[in-house]
Amino acid sequence: MKLSGSQIVVERLLAHGITTVFGYPGGAILPLYDELYKNSDKLNHILTAHEQGAVHAADGWARACGETGVVIATSGPGATNLVTGIANAYLDSIPLIAITGNVAVSMLGRDSFQEVDIVGITQPIVKHNFMVRDVAMLEDTLNQAFSIANSGRRGPVLVDIPKSVQTDICEYRNKTPLPAKKTYCTFDAGQVSSAIKNCKRPYIYAGGGVISSNAEPELGVLSERLSAPVGFSMMGLTALPDEYKLNLGMAGMHGKLAATAVKAECDVLIALGVRFSDRATGNATEYGEGKLIIHVDIDHAEIGKNVPPHMYVNGDVKDVLTQLLPLLPAMRNDEWLARIDELKLKGKTEYASSGFTPRNIIETVRGFCGADTVVATDVGQHQMWVTLHYKFQKPRTLLTSGGLGAMGYGLGAAIGGSIARGRQRSVLFTGDGSFGMNLTELATAVSQKLPILIVILNNNALGLPRQWQGVFFEKRYSQSTLNRKTDFVALAKAFGAEGYLAEDLTRLEYALNNLPDRKPTVIDCRIGMDERVLPMIPPGGSVKDIIVK
Amino acid sequence: MDRFTVELIVSNHYGVLNRITGLYARRGYNIDSLYVNETENPEKSRMLITSKGSEYIQTQMVHQIRKLHDVQKVILMTQINR
Repeated sequence: MKLSGSQIVVERLLAHGITTVFGYPGGAILPLYDELYKNSDKLNHILTAHEQGAVHAADGWARACGETGVVIATSGPGATNLVTGIANAYLDSIPLIAITGNVAVSMLGRDSFQEVDIVGITQPIVKHNFMVRDVAMLEDTLNQAFSIANSGRRGPVLVDIPKSVQTDICEYRNKTPLPAKKTYCTFDAGQVSSAIKNCKRPYIYAGGGVISSNAEPELGVLSERLSAPVGFSMMGLTALPDEYKLNLGMAGMHGKLAATAVKAECDVLIALGVRFSDRATGNATEYGEGKLIIHVDIDHAEIGKNVPPHMYVNGDVKDVLTQLLPLLPAMRNDEWLARIDELKLKGKTEYASSGFTPRNIIETVRGFCGADTVVATDVGQHQMWVTLHYKFQKPRTLLTSGGLGAMGYGLGAAIGGSIARGRQRSVLFTGDGSFGMNLTELATAVSQKLPILIVILNNNALGLPRQWQGVFFEKRYSQSTLNRKTDFVALAKAFGAEGYLAEDLTRLEYALNNLPDRKPTVIDCRIGMDERVLPMIPPGGSVKDIIVK
Repeated sequence: MDRFTVELIVSNHYGVLNRITGLYARRGYNIDSLYVNETENPEKSRMLITSKGSEYIQTQMVHQIRKLHDVQKVILMTQINR
């Protein structure tokens, strides 16, 4: 069967089970958009307001449903607008295919209109990228792209397709999709299990690798079996329900006191699918003192990169735990459990449940959400407050920019998350700074009739820089006070969304009781400028340096 | 600092050298010597890259290079103290 390059792209997407793509058209990708038009009954294209919104949406979609996200953009500025989103997916190991148009092959390398070397630009932030110069290579290339994005540690792959390749014709062979390469893991499970059995104070540190390999049930069994508390990196946060007695929440710089303190006191640290990021680890040299570190990760380069382990297993977390669990007996150390309770109690802070504080706002919104509600965040104080105070119950319900910390991620992600869950209500917690970065995507949420709830924790400042300036720069608040006069209620209405202003919990509850079903709602919550994220460990510090008030 | 050489078998394709040297550049390691040649199989090239770095750096480089799609084989060859 002879097909054009554009037809091949559509056929390959369908062959890989893709039904939703996000993107934005432009000159060099028009032949592909013509095919999308003809196939709109099979392939749903979500048009965003900006390519960055599209790539964040594809990423949020992938996180919420665990499948590969696809984003399409044109050459030049369309392609460069994807860069932040691709880096975001790379640092959080999210499977993503970015398809960009480029100028015709004969025009490449001449600084043609809207020509950039996007393969060169994205090289350090993709698992792999391709420039397809010959249509005969297109089918195989796309097949490989999907396989690479999902093999081993997942991540983004970019495929750059010149306009002439989109229109060139060749024989389409309709090959079977290449499966993701399986990581076979053989290790001495007996050795690992006896090391664990010899320890008295176990602690499990779980990360994004647990979510990525769908190992949440195995993690739960492991924790119960060993009576081991679980602390999370931000990427692992939703793996166990909040109410589970041994769930200590997030550890690290802005993590819960108990999660960080218990980790410091354990004698065996079982690290599952984590990379010991500096935000989660702090002082890497003090980190391992007096404990046996067992590191399980699918990416061999992560073993010993930040923290040297005493024992490691290079493999998929689910696969490793499945082999390990049969060898582990039930263990219980009442002294250790009592110490954990003690530290949990120490970490509990007194707070008034009536004030219009970030915590009360988040808990009030939580009361209006179900266990399945997808929650997206932007980056900054509000993000930390959500990770500290929102009670997550199910995996893949938190969409947040972990490794890159990209402000402006949230709205796109909330759009992708809502679409991934059958266009149900998703919630975005954002700040006035972050929301300002990509708020044009309100237009997308309106045109798609998505009932997204956007809660702005508006402190008229860039809160996290401000908090740091307060602690480390003697209160010199350089460029972190916003002094904007944005009327977010009017802005929401101008976009065709609903808008409410809330200055107390009653007004917030009123707004939450009146959410429209087929359009987004913005609630502008005015909070104090000096609200801080606590606890806080200074960069490179350890639990000894923790600031709690 | 130890001098170390990495031998690679890679796809004989434009841009591959760039991907590999990019990994060195990103971490700030100078390449002291670089050799690239097509092998008896014209689809593959052999590279020899000599650089300086601690044992930690050497292992990291090997692991990071191994993750590249265009790289089929990585051997950490020589470790000569200097």
